[in-house]
Amino acid sequence: MGKIILHGRKVVGGCVEGEALVTTETISGWGGIDPKEGTIIDLRHELAGEKFAGKVLVYQGAKGSSGWSGQFHEARLNNVAPLAMVFNETTTKIALGAVVTRVPAVTDLDQDPTKVIATGDWVKVDGDNGIVEVTKK
Amino acid sequence: MYLTDEEKSMLNGDHGEIKQRCMQFLVDYGEVAGAEHLIDLDGNVDLHPPYGNWLGDYDVSYEEVVELAEIGEKFKVPTFANKAVNPGMIVDGWEKIDLEPFTNPEFRMKQEEMMKPYMKMGMVPILSCNYYLVSSYTPTVGQHCAWVESSAIPWGNAVLGARTNFDGCFQTAYLGKVPAYDMHLDENRKATVLVEYMDELKTDMDYDLFGWAVGEMVGLEVPALIGVGKPTTSQLVKMNTSLNTGGQVRMYHVPGLTPEAPTLEAAFSGNYQRKIQLGRDDLRKIYDKMNYASNDQVDFVYLGCPHYNIEEILKVARLVDGKKLKATMWITTNPSSYKVAKDMGLIEIIEKAGGNVLSGTCPGILGKLPPSTVMATDAAKQNYYINGIYQDLHVWYGTTEDCVESAIKGVWQGEWK
Repeated sequence: MGKIILHGRKVVGGCVEGEALVTTETISGWGGIDPKEGTIIDLRHELAGEKFAGKVLVYQGAKGSSGWSGQFHEARLNNVAPLAMVFNETTTKIALGAVVTRVPAVTDLDQDPTKVIATGDWVKVDGDNGIVEVTKK
Repeated sequence: MYLTDEEKSMLNGDHGEIKQRCMQFLVDYGEVAGAEHLIDLDGNVDLHPPYGNWLGDYDVSYEEVVELAEIGEKFKVPTFANKAVNPGMIVDGWEKIDLEPFTNPEFRMKQEEMMKPYMKMGMVPILSCNYYLVSSYTPTVGQHCAWVESSAIPWGNAVLGARTNFDGCFQTAYLGKVPAYDMHLDENRKATVLVEYMDELKTDMDYDLFGWAVGEMVGLEVPALIGVGKPTTSQLVKMNTSLNTGGQVRMYHVPGLTPEAPTLEAAFSGNYQRKIQLGRDDLRKIYDKMNYASNDQVDFVYLGCPHYNIEEILKVARLVDGKKLKATMWITTNPSSYKVAKDMGLIEIIEKAGGNVLSGTCPGILGKLPPSTVMATDAAKQNYYINGIYQDLHVWYGTTEDCVESAIKGVWQGEWK
């Protein structure tokens, strides 16, 4: 199985690799995640109960309360932040969330990462160069 | 990102370490957001006091704010307080309930103390998510603001025609600057999708559900809404709130109603891409999603998300006048409306029936409730956050009348009408 390479824009620099957790939905920070456990707590979300801690979180974007950045920052303080973030929509919530969560993050990719990448795939995120390298499981 | 000489000198630390940190935040955030420069605010700011755990390493601590207030530093632009968070604060009505630590006098005194340095810097303690209804000072068309309350953002952009992203905080209020991107730029404010409602929006709940349905469908597009009738202020508040909870609509147009859309053509200005039609069936789907309780024995009724305005308090007071409630019932409002409701005798009527009116907070913010297992609410936004924050709580959703009825009977009998 060959690698798939996606090219996008740097949001936060740094280079990491790990297992992907993917959703085509947007994620709410406040009331949507548990920053103590690093899990999705929105019961009506397709990832309800899933742990994003230490995973490459691939998702559409942020929604809901402006408390988004605070929640993801708290997750970072509790060592349960995502390993990296790959998303489609840059909004204020994401921008603030990314600068305080401080994990490698890439957006504006040449293919929709939520469609190309599946949960469990091995993903390398090179934030500095805006490159996402996918190895299908 | 381009910086003026003054901004550069702030970044260099020539104006002290706190201003340097605030400027560093604006630069880092602006770079991520893709802003080319900063904008000087000429509108106002809304922020959550007493501040903390919001922007991580860029946060300005309470002790630092005390220090700034003491040397006479002020916020650059008019600044209004949203609800207090981390911890929440019940401003009025707390004596009537038992909810530690919020009702502990010592804890409360400390909270009031925490507000003082912010007020000294100019923060107006409206302490509400719908400060835009009660602050008596709102921005005018085209003014640049930094607001933070998610339900208020579409209100600022669409209803008032002001320009704001989601970045109301100490840093933006203190420096009076924000990165120039998204809603601050003309080209991002035009409608791209036409949303037509094919039936008639009648009740407050209809507007709540309609806002949610649109939010789910349009993502980051800017919708122009037609077929929405003549919403009351309460209905418009509900619609705005759901638009930005069910989705992330931060700007929309209603031709003939909102200032940047005198006509449908003006709303689009040539950016039309697609059309969506919605009807009652679409609202029904959202209604069913909101009702995820199976047990009909309601023991807690919550009204007031966003904070009830005086008309809504009056409506509930009339519904419960002379009745006895079986379930616990909370109504949350802002401190300003609480005082008016008290002067009108409405608080007394509601309390006599066994309900509570609290100001300055909400269940989502407190993260703690009286012991309860089945809740009823008339707000899609609260319903959504409750499902994450109080995982064990089962929630019914319906009209205000259905919710009040369930408080009186202790049983949920609401149904889709």
